[in-house]
Amino acid sequence: MASRKEQKEQARAARLQQEQEHAAKTARTRRFAIFGGVIAIAVIVIVVAIAISSGGSSNNSSVNKAQAKATYATVNSLIGGIPQTGTVLGQPKAKVTMTYYGDLECPICRDFTLDYFPQFVQDQVRTGKVKVDYRSFCTASCNNTTVSDPQAVFNTQQVAAYAAGKQNLFWYYAELFYHEQGTEDTPYVTSSYLEGLAKQIPQLNLKTWQTDRTDPELADQVSSDLSEASKLGLQGTPTLIMSGPKGSETVTGPDGDIPTYSDLAAAVQTVS
Amino acid sequence: MAFLEQGGSRRHRLGGVSWITLAILVVALIGTCEAAYLTYIHYHGIASLPCFGKHSGHSSCEQVQQSVYSKLDGIPVALLGLLGYVAIWVTLLIKGELGRAAGFGVALVGFGFSLYLTYREIFSLKEICEWCVGSACLMTILAVLTAIRYLRAE
Repeated sequence: MASRKEQKEQARAARLQQEQEHAAKTARTRRFAIFGGVIAIAVIVIVVAIAISSGGSSNNSSVNKAQAKATYATVNSLIGGIPQTGTVLGQPKAKVTMTYYGDLECPICRDFTLDYFPQFVQDQVRTGKVKVDYRSFCTASCNNTTVSDPQAVFNTQQVAAYAAGKQNLFWYYAELFYHEQGTEDTPYVTSSYLEGLAKQIPQLNLKTWQTDRTDPELADQVSSDLSEASKLGLQGTPTLIMSGPKGSETVTGPDGDIPTYSDLAAAVQTVS
Repeated sequence: MAFLEQGGSRRHRLGGVSWITLAILVVALIGTCEAAYLTYIHYHGIASLPCFGKHSGHSSCEQVQQSVYSKLDGIPVALLGLLGYVAIWVTLLIKGELGRAAGFGVALVGFGFSLYLTYREIFSLKEICEWCVGSACLMTILAVLTAIRYLRAE
């Protein structure tokens, strides 16, 4: 039988053990509570970060949804209702054809398309006098120093526009591209940028467009445009060639600058 | 290694530092180097970024690094990643439960956001950037290691 002293020591040891177990249990509970708290805070931070990231995105990285809608409305008011066949805008039977050699990344093409082309479309194309046929010629795109293969980027962007042309929506795509063109010599033409433009055209079948982008005929069309431009000895974009019953001429503005509406209208008169 | 926290538990240690802390240190160091490189590339020309994938004249890394998801409210995610790895380093300097919990929190945020960016790569951009996937893997490892370190009180 244990002495009174031994019994006291045993009771003390048991109490200490109980206290230690209790302290360990409390520490464990506290640790798991903090662990859960950290997870909860992390989840909140992640959700906020995702919300900011998603909120900043749109169909096209350079514009928000409202801007994209407004741009489409502008383009639609310009060319809506005018017949389109492939890369041709206007009545197929129009006597005069303006061949537009352009590069979708070319800022001078953008200036021409936004500043002088609208009145030309309104007065000459919508009225059935002239049709416009777009061809590809690599200028600004091929001088892009910020991408590893500028020629391939050019081919991809032009084919993307031609793929919209297979649904007779080329001019919607090209106009949107020029309206939302990025800064020259920057690598803004990415898959998401090109898809963003396509998504802005409500009447475009996106799935068909994606499939058509891989059509080798469209890549051949771009190559053929480039060979033709090379044969013609073109020096830059936009190059605008007006052809009609009385011949054809390359239209330039004063001092070789981009042609204004009056230069274009005068050329139409000359070749008609 | 004297600056590193030394826990009280009896586990394998190297120079007074637990193996798990050392592993966090090494993984965070690799992540810091990678994120620093990507941040540098972001400001000095994406075209020079070595990448396996190539598509439409851009490497797949260019596509991802130039996408709308490459920035968070104007701040490059590469820079945010760099700050995240540095923050994990800093938490190793803080003694006790606070340092361990903070390290786990930072790694968990990094892991969660990396997961979201990987989702965007696969489903929105349809391009894979090996550098980004590499960083996501490092953040995953760090989230696991820091969680173990916190729960084991090392």
